Amino acid sequence: MKNKTVIGLKLDHFLKALVAVILSFIALLIPFTSKEAGSKNLIGTSISLLSAGHGAAVSFFLYLAAVLTIASLVIGVTAYFRTSVKIVRAWMLVQIFATFFWTTLLFAAKVILEEGGIEDSFLLKSAGPGFWVGLAASYVSLVFIMKVAEVNTGYIVLSILGVIWMFPILWIVLTALRAEQGYYVGYFFPKNLTLKNFYDLFHNSAVPFGKWWLNTMIVAVCGCVLNTLIVLGTAFILSRTRFTGRKAFMNILMIIGMFPGFMSMVALYNILKGLGLNQSIGALIVVGAAGAAMGYHITKGYFDTIPKAIDEAAIIDGASRFQIFTKITIPLSKSIIVYQVLGTFLGAWSDYIFPRLLFGDRQSSYTVAVGLFWMTDFRRIDSYYTQFAAGAVIIALPIVILFIWLQRFYVEGLSGSVKG
Amino acid sequence: MDREYKRRNFITTFTKGDIFSKLSYVFCGLANIRYGQVVKGLMFLLLEVCYFVFLFTTGVNLLRNLATLGEHEQGMAFNEALGIYEMQAGDNSMIILLTGVVAIVVTICFVAIWLFSISSGENARFNHDHGHHVNTFLQDVRSLTNENIHFLLLAIPVVGLLIFTFTPLIYMILMAFTNYDNEHQPPGHLFDWVQLDNFRTLLLSSDKLSQTFWPVLGWTFIWGIFATFSCYFGGMILAMIINSKGIKIKKFWRTIFVVTMGIPSFISLKVVGTMLGEKGIFNVLIQKWGWTASAVPFLTQASFARVSVILVNFWIGVPVTMLMVSGILMNIPAELYESARIDGAGPFVIFRKITFPYMLFVTTPYLISNLIGNFNNFSAIYFLTGGGPMTLDYYKGAGKTDLLVTWLYKLTADTNDYNLAATIGILIFIISATFTLITFQRSGSMKNEEGFQ
Repeated sequence: MKNKTVIGLKLDHFLKALVAVILSFIALLIPFTSKEAGSKNLIGTSISLLSAGHGAAVSFFLYLAAVLTIASLVIGVTAYFRTSVKIVRAWMLVQIFATFFWTTLLFAAKVILEEGGIEDSFLLKSAGPGFWVGLAASYVSLVFIMKVAEVNTGYIVLSILGVIWMFPILWIVLTALRAEQGYYVGYFFPKNLTLKNFYDLFHNSAVPFGKWWLNTMIVAVCGCVLNTLIVLGTAFILSRTRFTGRKAFMNILMIIGMFPGFMSMVALYNILKGLGLNQSIGALIVVGAAGAAMGYHITKGYFDTIPKAIDEAAIIDGASRFQIFTKITIPLSKSIIVYQVLGTFLGAWSDYIFPRLLFGDRQSSYTVAVGLFWMTDFRRIDSYYTQFAAGAVIIALPIVILFIWLQRFYVEGLSGSVKG
Repeated sequence: MDREYKRRNFITTFTKGDIFSKLSYVFCGLANIRYGQVVKGLMFLLLEVCYFVFLFTTGVNLLRNLATLGEHEQGMAFNEALGIYEMQAGDNSMIILLTGVVAIVVTICFVAIWLFSISSGENARFNHDHGHHVNTFLQDVRSLTNENIHFLLLAIPVVGLLIFTFTPLIYMILMAFTNYDNEHQPPGHLFDWVQLDNFRTLLLSSDKLSQTFWPVLGWTFIWGIFATFSCYFGGMILAMIINSKGIKIKKFWRTIFVVTMGIPSFISLKVVGTMLGEKGIFNVLIQKWGWTASAVPFLTQASFARVSVILVNFWIGVPVTMLMVSGILMNIPAELYESARIDGAGPFVIFRKITFPYMLFVTTPYLISNLIGNFNNFSAIYFLTGGGPMTLDYYKGAGKTDLLVTWLYKLTADTNDYNLAATIGILIFIISATFTLITFQRSGSMKNEEGFQ
């Protein structure tokens, strides 16, 4: 092996991979079940499960883990003698599945062992060393085989993280489609699927979700237009013009920004009440627009990078500052405008605290955030949980699509915010 | 007439100016009228008249009441005419304070207009004396789209901020120096100025309040540091894996993680919160899988809850950093990596010697603003645990995962201790200001705006 070279393979790791595979094979022979269950090894367990003839459907995870580990060993030994890219690729494929089934045992071992009549109450921590050695060795060998095959091992991390990241999202979607009502259910996959939750959401007099959705849409669209214009204007002034009091203005904004935002909410509520604006979505739009200028930083940072020479040339050509703003700066700032619009739009759907305070008990003015939260109150959560999930899906779906579609601009805006 | 070629400042305008300049300190806009800007001058004068009418009709009263915050408590009073006791409406301290603040803000605005009128009059005089053109009113209006565009574009934001941000803020700051707590609720009761008592009880006393404040502050710091750095490193590592050579369909992997960003955070937090409940799906599953024998108190036991919120925040925060870092990673010159690899550096050394120092250099301001953001990360805590688990060691309402901001919110929303909430708000401000000053010291881009042009 030492002097062999094969194009497309990195044979330095071959022996390590082989040792790891042998180790995971050995794991099949050492105790898998707990002491109370007689410390059977995995092969022994498989045989007694097979001979029992009944047991959990997921038992095949166990068989496959054993079979694939043996297969991996066989291919590995073959590859040692006849090294070629094809064989190593096949080896990797087999090991991927072996590792996958070893991992599933983390979740399925209890069911398999208990329903197969081998253990009474199985806990992972009482599992024999064969279980842990097998699991660890299968991952180690997968890593080394991937290194031999010159495949990026990052895939392992990404797959595991991807599953973890998608897990709660899958749960929301499944809950939205679940026919059985209620919050506490003892299983992950619904027994019956239905679209009734979505239907109920729009045909339930106690929960005017359609109205909430419309309210939020109005707030979001108005906010997008007003806030973006205000932010663009403020950022343009602070970036492209110099006037007395400019620094002072920026400092004041910074100082105001350092106070926690909802410290002043109670006072704001009283002012709005005095103006007769409380409990209306108009107030939400006005207040949002009034505070929009505070978020000028990122846009200003972006404007700062547009060369001043362009402005100067335009001034020589007789353009006014306002024309520079509308005809030069804005057309050059597409990505930051999209970033701003996206941010405002997203904010409107998730803003909760101020609308909650503003609307009080007037349900017809609620935005979806307030409304959905109202549904998850501990007195209501059990009867509304599936509808809440359906509402969450309805809100999240367009935003997620929008987000994925406009991701590029968001990244530009984000990295604009951290320019050294 | 002696001609000077230097503009006069606020003081020399008075000392060196003629009678019109001098009088314009009392009658706004007189200098403008004298030097040909009649409309502008009259507008200044009109604004001044309006202000003084306001001041002498209601303003003085509002400001005087501000000193006492009301003297007559609501209660039974003897009505001599009818010869009976009757309910008499008392002063409402809250409204007195609010209107007083409005009067103060109006006064501040007037002072600004006054200063502006003086400088504007001086400008008119200067231009006139030196034979320059003195703008007519129409020309002034037209200049709003050109050299004076800042008045045009900043007008709406400034007015908006003044009414909806600045005024309420002043009101709340003042509230920190009153005793507007749950026992002094107007209109039934008056509240009064108490100077620094709130700060003293919160910071120094051996009262339950300070026994709540310090642990909550401590947890706020621990949370801020863990939340910021876990997401920072997690996001960085994730971005590096996705962007590394040999990973195909990068867009797919990025999208998987970006989905969590697209979902409004209150939804994902609330859902994860219910999943982590005692009978939530996580507990159901881990018992089914044989990981534990009994339910894990993810959100109901202090240390578990604290770890849970940090982990859930990790789930939400990593994609954000990942996206941001992806953008920066591409800016690192490829030659650096190339030469490091030729010199025999492994991936870990490359990260430690090239990627990380570069990232740290570029993202320090982001990191610090993120830290401040996490100190004030209301939603992550409130929607997930609501600050719980509750404890008897703390002042009523505060729980073991409460940050200063969530506690502040509870004090206003649940227990109506507005004075304490305002005091905490000011303390949060002091903390944020300290960290921002540090950023200022470190960050080139903040000190030198023109730097990257």
